Amino acid sequence: MSETDSKASYKGYWITWGIMLVITAIMLLGDSLSWSKPAIVGLLLVAMLVKVALIGGEFMHLRFEKPALIWAVAGCILFFSAFLFILIAFDGLRIARMLEP
Amino acid sequence: MNTQSVVAPAATPFGAGWQKSMMWVFIVTDALLFTGFLASYGFVRLASASWPNRAEVFDLRLIALMTFVLISSSATMASAVAAAKHSDWSMVKIFLSLTLVGGLCFLGMQAYEWSNLIHEGATLHSNPWGVPLFTASFFLITGFHGSHVLTGLIVLAVTAIRSATGRSTMHGVEVAGLYWHFVDLVWVFIFTFFYLV
Repeated sequence: MSETDSKASYKGYWITWGIMLVITAIMLLGDSLSWSKPAIVGLLLVAMLVKVALIGGEFMHLRFEKPALIWAVAGCILFFSAFLFILIAFDGLRIARMLEP
Repeated sequence: MNTQSVVAPAATPFGAGWQKSMMWVFIVTDALLFTGFLASYGFVRLASASWPNRAEVFDLRLIALMTFVLISSSATMASAVAAAKHSDWSMVKIFLSLTLVGGLCFLGMQAYEWSNLIHEGATLHSNPWGVPLFTASFFLITGFHGSHVLTGLIVLAVTAIRSATGRSTMHGVEVAGLYWHFVDLVWVFIFTFFYLV
């Protein structure tokens, strides 16, 4: 492996680092936007998922793995997270409505 | 009898080494544990009539700095893995040391944040902001994440010592890196759900 190849591989990680810092700054500035609360939460969730994809795909090299591993890892976590959050959200919202004055 | 076929480890179904595959299995189970914690936190927030204003409770500049440090340590860790793949062990040592420093700074800042909140009267079952479950879920989730950071630092220290003494392998650095990136990944969720939403 040449020194140029080595530097090129470091460069990719530091570009990802820069993108993540920009996304983090956007997330922190979200409150100063004159948007509605649901729109700001939507922006934060999208930004969060982009950061997660960058860490998983670039830093953890998941995008270079076999599709079987990608599905086993990302699919399992996404499916069970969605399942759990959806189940709990219904009950949480029901209690929130009961607490409304 | 062909003994080699009996003792040789079988290839993993994912085409990765066993060390790496098992680390991925661990990461999936640990991620589901954090999912449970965060889902519980979401439930508590939905089911609470009021919730403290995060801007009044947390110092967002400190949290931003903590996030910057952890993201930077993830980048240095990824660079350490790249250096290990190129068998550039002097760079591995440098990048692992930088990652260790980043992790220690993060843990120090978290301890500072905790001590400030405790000084203001926050405990696991009560706080000055009137919603006991707020600090209960905060201490539980950030504490659990902090214990992962501490574990990661021990793993990194061992990997750095092994690299310095020429006993580490590329796979060892890669597996340690996977764990450290996972710690960073969990922080992305905590940062969003606790400090921003």
